[in-house]
Amino acid sequence: MKKLGLAIWSLFIIVGMCSGQAKKPTIMILPSDVWCNTNGYMMEYNNQGTVVKVPDYKRAFQENADLVNVVSKINGLMADRKFPLKNAESALKTMQSEDADDAIAQSKSGAAVAESPIDKLKKTAKADIIMQLTWVVNTTGPKKSITFNLQGLDSYTDKQVATAQGTGAPSFTAELPVLLEEAVLAQIDNFSASLQQHFDDMFENGREIIIRIKKFDSWDGDLEKDYGGKELGAIIEDWLAKSTVKGKFSTSDATANMMLFEQVRIPLYDTTGRALDARGFCKELQKYLTAPPYSITNKLTMKGLGQATIYLGEK
Amino acid sequence: MKIYFKSSVILILLLTGMSSISFGQAKQKANKDTEAWRYEIEGAGGVGSEGTYLIKVWSYSKKPKIAIEQAKKNAIHGVIFKGFAGAKGDPSQKPLASNPSIEDEKADFFNDFFADGGKYMKYVGVVGNGDINAGDVIKIGKEYKIGVIVSVQKDYLRKDLEAAGVIKGLSSGF
Repeated sequence: MKKLGLAIWSLFIIVGMCSGQAKKPTIMILPSDVWCNTNGYMMEYNNQGTVVKVPDYKRAFQENADLVNVVSKINGLMADRKFPLKNAESALKTMQSEDADDAIAQSKSGAAVAESPIDKLKKTAKADIIMQLTWVVNTTGPKKSITFNLQGLDSYTDKQVATAQGTGAPSFTAELPVLLEEAVLAQIDNFSASLQQHFDDMFENGREIIIRIKKFDSWDGDLEKDYGGKELGAIIEDWLAKSTVKGKFSTSDATANMMLFEQVRIPLYDTTGRALDARGFCKELQKYLTAPPYSITNKLTMKGLGQATIYLGEK
Repeated sequence: MKIYFKSSVILILLLTGMSSISFGQAKQKANKDTEAWRYEIEGAGGVGSEGTYLIKVWSYSKKPKIAIEQAKKNAIHGVIFKGFAGAKGDPSQKPLASNPSIEDEKADFFNDFFADGGKYMKYVGVVGNGDINAGDVIKIGKEYKIGVIVSVQKDYLRKDLEAAGVIKGLSSGF
């Protein structure tokens, strides 16, 4: 049975390779929280009595020329590797202009653009992988050096999938922009190499995603509900074991009301050879739960390529 | 007089022949050393121009000229398969080929690529007219170990290897 499963997935992968390309993750460079904090690009807001500090990316890009230069250099080098990045500064501007467009858009009958609280929450500059950038200028007497750190963080699994960091040679004369350029040039190959390893792993073992199962409180059932001697939670686990690449997934949390599956390895292509992401994969689970004997009405939401949530009980 | 002239010509031909045989043998030995990873490669300290690596390569040969010439081949071989440690604050660099068995899998490609006068020459140049520092020539037994600083056009090398399907690029498969 196991062999048959493996053979089917191998067939999917071969078909996929012949007929399509995997969904390409988007990458965006953002300065790290520690860089923003050190350089004074933070904003504060009151969250129900607690003061919360968050990075002010917009001001950082508007006021810090060194940041813009470093981001531009990395963007250029990645584009040279045929992997152009999403520009954070432009993404922030696009979001603002979309907000303005939505605010004034109306139909002939005067209807406004529909936007739920969740739609609003999801309106952030996002990418599948964030390249988090930090640098520190070290000064010893007249000598200056740069400690440079570039981390590739998967937005969905929170894993660091690529990295390059180090301290450059000290210099008496070089100016900061020159030291920064040298640091970028020195580190970019190692960063690309570790990112390549991540992609190689993805092509071999499938894309890693996170799946959440939740229930609306209006639904009278739960994940412990019995179907033919098996709890619903166990039925979902069985489906995942059959559908994931090499049966790889871990159940990180399970209660009567929710389940969290992490390190779920999904194939890059579906049976028709179309590229697959978390949403596409979970659509199949959604169909499985909607069909008899379970007949559970449910709703599927997604976050980028790598996170999906199924809410049981209602649409 | 005639006999003296004839003997001289034969002697010269013999010496030239022996010298070229010995040079050819030394060259073959140097190529075998490259295949057997018998060379050392390290960062030369300092940043080369964008898209290049500045590398110091230590090669072995009985003939210094061959060691210097072989340094170019060893540099490209090292950048593709071995990677190198950085010097003076520069980071270490990983090899361009992430698949450790690629050398055997693409043996036909690499045999042509690393042939004498092969395509590898396109990506490498000796820095500073090939002048060698006194400290970079070490006599070990009957051999010389010679350190040569070379510049490798690593961006062009990577792109050409990607185009030839020898190594994977970041966008491969997407």
